[in-house]
Order: sequence, then C-alpha cells, then structure tokens
Amino acid sequence: MPIFTLFTKIYNYFSVRRRILYSATLLGIVTCILVFSSIDLHEDIRSMLPDDRSEAALDFRLLQQAPFTRKVIINLSRAGDNDSSELLEAVDRLAEAMRSPFFTNVVTGPSGPDIWELFFWLMKKQPNLATAQDRKKILHELTAEGVQGKLEEMYARLHSPEGSALKGLFRLDPLALRRMGLEKIQFMNIIPGMRLENNHFISTDNKNALIIADTPVRITDTRQARQLLSYFQKLVAAVVPGDIDVSLISGHRYTLANTDTIKRDVFIILACSSVAMLAIFLLFLRTWGGLFVYLVPVSVLCIAAAGVSLIYETVSVVTIGFGAVLLGIAVDFALHVYFAVRHNSSNPAGAIGQVSRPVLFCGMTTLAAFSVLLFSSLPSQRQLAIFSMIGIAASMILSLITLPHLVRAKNEAIVSTKSSGEKIFKLASKWIVGAWLALLVICAWQGAKLSFDGDLRSINRVPQEIHTAENKLRQTWGNFRGNAVIFTEGLDLQSALETNERLFDYLSPKIPKGKMVSLAPILPSLGTQRLNQDRWNELWSAKKELARRLLVQEGRVFGFSARAFEPFFTRLAEPSPPITAENLRKSGLGEIVDALIISADDKVKVLTLVPDVPEVAALMDRRDKTLAAVRFVSQNRFSQIISRAIGEDFTKFIAKASVVVCLLLGLLFRNIKKVLLALVPVVSGLLFVFGVMGGLGIGFNLFNVVAAILIIGLGVDYGILVVCKISEGSNHATEKAVFVSGLTTLAGFGALVMARHPALHSIGVTVLLGIGAAIPSALFVIPALYQKKYEQSKTGNSVIGSR
Amino acid sequence: MKRIIFIFLILLVPGGVLSSQLQKGWNSPAEKDRLFSEIANAATKVTTLKSDFVQERHLGMLEDVLISKGRFYYKKQDRLRWELIKPVTSGFAVNGKQAKRWDGKSGRTQRFEVYQVPFIKLFTDQVFAWATADFKQLQKNYKIEILGDAPVDLKLVPMRSQEKEYLAHFRIAFSIDASHVNAVEVHETGGDFTRIRFFNTIINTPLPDTLFD
Repeated sequence: MPIFTLFTKIYNYFSVRRRILYSATLLGIVTCILVFSSIDLHEDIRSMLPDDRSEAALDFRLLQQAPFTRKVIINLSRAGDNDSSELLEAVDRLAEAMRSPFFTNVVTGPSGPDIWELFFWLMKKQPNLATAQDRKKILHELTAEGVQGKLEEMYARLHSPEGSALKGLFRLDPLALRRMGLEKIQFMNIIPGMRLENNHFISTDNKNALIIADTPVRITDTRQARQLLSYFQKLVAAVVPGDIDVSLISGHRYTLANTDTIKRDVFIILACSSVAMLAIFLLFLRTWGGLFVYLVPVSVLCIAAAGVSLIYETVSVVTIGFGAVLLGIAVDFALHVYFAVRHNSSNPAGAIGQVSRPVLFCGMTTLAAFSVLLFSSLPSQRQLAIFSMIGIAASMILSLITLPHLVRAKNEAIVSTKSSGEKIFKLASKWIVGAWLALLVICAWQGAKLSFDGDLRSINRVPQEIHTAENKLRQTWGNFRGNAVIFTEGLDLQSALETNERLFDYLSPKIPKGKMVSLAPILPSLGTQRLNQDRWNELWSAKKELARRLLVQEGRVFGFSARAFEPFFTRLAEPSPPITAENLRKSGLGEIVDALIISADDKVKVLTLVPDVPEVAALMDRRDKTLAAVRFVSQNRFSQIISRAIGEDFTKFIAKASVVVCLLLGLLFRNIKKVLLALVPVVSGLLFVFGVMGGLGIGFNLFNVVAAILIIGLGVDYGILVVCKISEGSNHATEKAVFVSGLTTLAGFGALVMARHPALHSIGVTVLLGIGAAIPSALFVIPALYQKKYEQSKTGNSVIGSR
Repeated sequence: MKRIIFIFLILLVPGGVLSSQLQKGWNSPAEKDRLFSEIANAATKVTTLKSDFVQERHLGMLEDVLISKGRFYYKKQDRLRWELIKPVTSGFAVNGKQAKRWDGKSGRTQRFEVYQVPFIKLFTDQVFAWATADFKQLQKNYKIEILGDAPVDLKLVPMRSQEKEYLAHFRIAFSIDASHVNAVEVHETGGDFTRIRFFNTIINTPLPDTLFD
C-alpha cells in the first residue's frame, strides 16, 4: 500500500472516531508528563566518556584510582602572622566534628609515630634498602679523610645545644649513612608544599593546613552531595573561627555546579524557545489549529524523556537540555502537515496523503542520522540518540495521525498570493549560486583548520569560586592532584613491586629530584631486599674492621672513646627483617602506602606519580619492552586520547550518517541529481560550521559531533521538502513550511546559545551556524540550481506568503 | 632537646631576689609559693641579660670532657643570641619571628623564620615564656626542691614520663649574692651530664639590636 494512501485511510478512519483518537493521544501524553515529572536527573562525567574497552575508557578508570581523586580535600588558611597554633586548633576541631555518614577516615597528619621514630626505623632498615649505588658511595667515603670529615662535623654539633639530643644518633650512625635513607624518603613526599607540625599537614608558609577525608557519598549523587556540602558549611560555621578561610575541593562541588547550571539552563532554554516559538506561530499561523502545532513539540519532549527514562536508569541533564533541539525538530513535521492541510482545506485526507511522503522521509533520514550515534562509545551520545529518535518518531506519529484532525480548516478560504521571494529567486539565481560557491570555498579553506578538543574541563562548567580554590590549593601545596600516574600491575604485590623498581630505575635519573613520588626506594620487592641485604652484609663483612679502625683512629683526635661507636657495629650485626607494606603503615607512612598501592580484582597496582608534562610522556613512550605492561595515565594524555577519539568518531559518524542519508535519498528520489540537490543544505550547513569554527579557532568537542549529526538530519529534511516541492509540484506551501520550521529550529538553538553550560552552549552555537546556513541554501540555492523545474512548479503552485 | 632549652630558661630567673629569702623550711609548699612568686615578680624587672659561659659536656662516648665557651644574650621581649666561640664558632640569633644561624667553619649563614626550624622554635618559645617565670606551670611538670641557700641551689626532677626516660634532674645554682645564675647542670638518665657555668653576667645593660639581627 502506498504511503500516501495509508495516511489518507488513517485520516478517514479517525475522522469519524475523533474522540477516541483525542482521548488516546491525551492519555498517552499525560502519562508521559507524569513519568517525565518523576525523572531523577543526573550529571555524571562518566556519561561523556567511552564505556567500552577503549584506551580512553581504561585510562579514565585508572585516573579514578589516582591518589586524592576520590578524596575530599579541605584547606584551612589564615592570613596574618605565622603563628600556626590557632590554625591547627581549628583543624583539630573541624576534623573532630567531621563525622559519619558524610565523612570517614578524616586525616590531619600522619597517623603513625613521630618523625624521629620513622627516622630511626629507616636507619634500622638500611640493609634492606641500600642499593649498589649506595654501596659504592659508602666505599668511596670509607677513608681516613672521609671518616675524619664526618667526625669533625659530629664533634661540632655535640657542642651545640641540640648536641645532647643527637649523641645517641651519632653513636648509632657515625658515618651518617642515614642520609641515604633520607634521600629515599624524599620520594614519598606526595604533597610537595607540605611539612609537618605537631603531626599536622601544614604549608611551608605556616598559613595553610590540610584535612584529607573519605566520603561514602558518590560524586554523581547530586542530592547527597548537596547534603554533604550543606553539612560541611554548618560545621565550618560552628567550629572554625571567622578569620580562618575554609575551602573544600572534591568532585561533589563540580557535580553540583554543573547540575545547577544545566538545570537553570534547561529552564531558561525551554522558556525562551517556547516563547520564541509562540511568537513565530503568532506571526505565521495565527489560527486555533496553530496552537496544536505548538503543542506537538511540547508533547514530544515529554514522550522522549519518558521513553529514555524507561530505557535508562538515570537520565542526563544534558539529554533533557537537548530537548530544546528536539522541540525545533519535532515542530518541523507538525508545520509541514499544518501547512499542507490548511493549504488544501477542501481535501485534508488527500493533503495528508501527499505530505506524508516527504514528512516520513524527512523523519526517516533524521532518524537514520541519529541512529549512527547509537554505536557511539559515549553513553551520553547514545542516550541523546535514543532521546532524539523517540522524539522524532513520536513527532511523526502525532503530526501525521492526530494533528491533521486538529488543524483542519472549517470553511476557511485559502488565499494564495504572489511572493516577493519568487522575484528574488528569479532575478538573482546566478548570483545566489556564485555567492554560495564562494562561501563554500572560503568555508572549506577555513574548515581545514578545525581542531578537536578532548579536554573534558572545557565542556564542564567550573564556577569562579571553585577555580580560585583549586588555584590556591595548587599554589600552596603544589600540583599534587594534577600529577600523571604510572600504574604497574601484578598478580600480587611482589610482582607489581618488581616492575615498579624497574620503572624507578628507568625514570629516576631523568626526572628532577622532588618531582617523582615512588615506593620503590622505600619498599623494594622482597627479592631486591634480599639482594640489598646480601650486598650490605658482604660490604660490612669485608669493611667492618676498616671502619672500626678508622673510627677509633680518627675519633681519638676529637676525644671519642674507643667504644663510642660500638652501637653502630652492634647495629650492623643485627638482623633486618623484610620491609613490608604493613611495616610502612606502622611507621607512619600508612596514608602514602594506601594511596600508592591498590588491590582490586585479584590484582595489585603500584602507582608512581610524575609530573604531567610532555617530556615525561615522551620518556614513557620510549620505554623498553620490560616496561611495556606499565600504563602511563595523565589528564593531558587523556585529553589527547579523547580528542583523537572525538576526531575519529566525528569522521566515522559523519561518514555513516552521510551514507545512510544518501541511501535513503536514493530510495526516495531514484535520481542522482535530486539526491545531490537534497544534500545542498547539508553540505552548506556542515561546511559553514567547519569554516566558522576553524576560522575562529573554536575546538570541536564531543557535543559538536552530535550537533553535526543534527545538521545532517535537519538539513536533508529541508532539501527533501524543497526538492519534492519543485520536482513533484506538490501543493503544500513547502517554502513557507521550510522557512517557518527553520525559524522554529533556530529559536530552539538560539535559546541553547544562551546556556551557561559549555556543552549546551556548544551544541547551540554549532547548530545555529549549521541550520543558519542550511535554511537559506534550501530556500534559495536549490531553486537557483534547479531553476527550470522550479519555474514549472511555481506556475502551478503559488505558495510563499500564502495563508 | 627540651632539657637543653630548660637550662637557658632558668638563666632568665633573676637570682638576686632569692638570697634574702633563704631560710629553713623553704621546701614547704607555702614558702615555695611565696618564693616563686617573688622570683616571678623580679623577672619582670629584667630587660636584658649578657653572660659569658663555659659548657662542660660529660659524655660517655668521649674520653675527655667536651668544653666549649661562648656568650649568651637576651633582650626583652623576643630577642636572644646563643653564640659558641671555642673550640667551634657557631650559634644562632632570634629577633621576633626572624632568625639566623651561622657556622664558623663553613662560613655559612642561614636566615630563616623561626617556625621553619623546629628546634629553634621550641627553644625561643620556651625562653620567652619563661621570661615571665611561670612557676605554676613549672611545678606542674617538675618537682622543685631547694637544696641550699648559699648559694641558692634548686633541683628540678621531671614528673612527665616521656621526659623521665632521658632526664634525671636539673640543678640550678645562683651566685653567692644570688644576683644571677652561676651554673646549670643537666643530668641524663644514662649518667651523662652537661654543666654550664656563667660568668661576667650583666643584667639590664644596653644591648645593641644588631646583636640579634
């Protein structure tokens, strides 16, 4: 059965059962409105990242395991003098007040014994830690001159006020071997700008202190995140003096900021686009039937949202924000039906039959264009595709089945008038084509500069206050949250530690001191510890007597007794049990060990932190085969991967959408010339977007990709309608319908441009540019290129300006 | 470290006020309170202190006594200088929040803020707190015994368990006229001890600010 016959029959069937039709439609819409109103909107960065087994997805999962990523970081700062006592008191009070269920494991400093105990622990563990290089150094200094220098320094310090406190240390370690341990522990300094005061994390300028806490509240849970922040603000007001500034940094703040922005944007966008559409209807439709046209996209929005909520557990606020776009698309079909029916009021069933073909094809091409996004690796793009496809399908059904009954004219005469537009087409067709070609060439030239922006921060809204707090944290404590992370994985801790050592040996000579955080110097694998111990024992078996002789001989010069350093030799003879992660925890390094060792899924990962700079990335690229299994993950690299993925997705989706659309056009027109003409708005729209964005240096992000698909879907609709109108001489006020539907689409996207959220804003800008170019090219360029046929069509149909 | 600090803090307690009070029965709580209260009052009259010293460190690890000579300066409210002259030249000076230390052998001088070096921070905090001779606080941490009256000789035994691990007791001896501290002894639990004898002590003499800069 031909399509136009089907919809004519449906129209005729319901023309005597309108109450049933209206009731069923109303019931469906009301149900969807109810579902829509109960949707729990979420803003989750994960929805904007690949969830497949791609490199980006893996990197993102690993980045989530980096130290501090899931922690709540609280910075307390106090201006004025350097007396830290008040600041530390406030830290203790606040930490004490931070309780479950919002905060767990609140840490204000190292949990273990004091720094002196750690120091002595390190000395005892020297046999396990001393490397071949350390051995070389010891031998180099084990000379009369070397020992004399050490003893002289020690002698001078014994005179000083702290001499009595240090004498025990000197007896245990006259050769100052402890310095090797101190060099190793520098690699554990996870927060560069930190020092310890009374076991508190305090900044070197004495004006800032840190609290680090865990929270069971998921970063994506906006409701609980809001409660957490509110609870924290109350605590601060209650226990922290007014002259101490407190800032909390965690993913929760970003989530709330983004969600609030998007919710506000959605309200403004929907309000503005609704008002703009109403204005367009009042200008161009001005009938009671027009009101129903207006209601189609509103209903479609509810239907699409309800449909998505049935498929997905959570609905992204970005998806709902995309509703404005859907409003713009959905109204197009309704407009075409409206104009067709109103224009052919004497035979609405026939008009429906005629208009159903281009409308269905428009809908199918748009559906097909969006369907390619179903294969995206990004959940947000897939959800947008589902949302759009449900909306488009619903819009087609409502427009072709219910709407014709609501908008049919009752004894209204249709007045056909000549359009001024026709004169423009006739007079300026050569100029139009020329100008259009020139524009395309310029846009293609500028479009070559188009770049892809994979930085997720650029599609997230970061309010100024969070930005300032982040900067302050970075300036005070160093960029400890922005390090690149290298993961070495093993089936057990020992195998991971072995790889970690190789990584350390490779990187440590190449990275400036103090810039790398690694467990390797303090927690070597058991095998390495045994090797170190053997080396140590061998060294002192051979050199113990030499050391004793030198210490006695040179010590005599300064008055040291012959047995002054006996504790040192006793220590050399003592066994040194292996260092374990548990030992380190007990020695006061628990927080660092837990941050750098992660056990999950029967595997152990050991983390190394390095600066996130191109030089280190290049070093990792050049690593040899023995380090092939380690994974280098960084924000910068992640952005590059996402940029590449967006670029690849873009090419892939554009190509797929173009192929699908071309196939459908081929099926519809079975004429290559018509297919090419129908593609004119698509090509114009896309090239215009690329040209303007490339020329202005605006990066193409993952939402621009969605917008590009939209340009294809909508652009081809305009092309189909105009080509149908010209080639088939159909009598449904096509130009006016295209013009008005274009205006409504622009109203929707115009509103998106007003969004403060970068994702919505970028969709708005892209589609505004694309559709802004597609509409005039459909209305002016296609007729100009297809002038002869157009002349024929307009003699039979006067359309523009008709009402 | 605290034991060393304590020695210097004691130096700030003016001894002159004590001599007239030395009578039998001073170890009774009431007499002690009265005596310490008078010392605290007298402390407020000290604006500067200048003294040479000889430090004898009797350490088991050394065959000989470690002897050093130096000078100590204090200026109310927040300035002090501790200077070793022989056999090594080193020391540090504190002026409010600023400090410097030097090492004669290497010729190195380091300027820093007091809080940056925990030892010096602890030292200066205690010195400046003790300038007010807060015996109430002192008696919370030490059992104070008056050993003699000519010269005044105090013995302080720590009560805190952590301190008792390394510190047996202090002794502070004043000059015969009790006008200034003559000697301080710090006895460690292991048998080592340090004695510092002060001489040429001058109270309330003008001290140039440059000493502390």
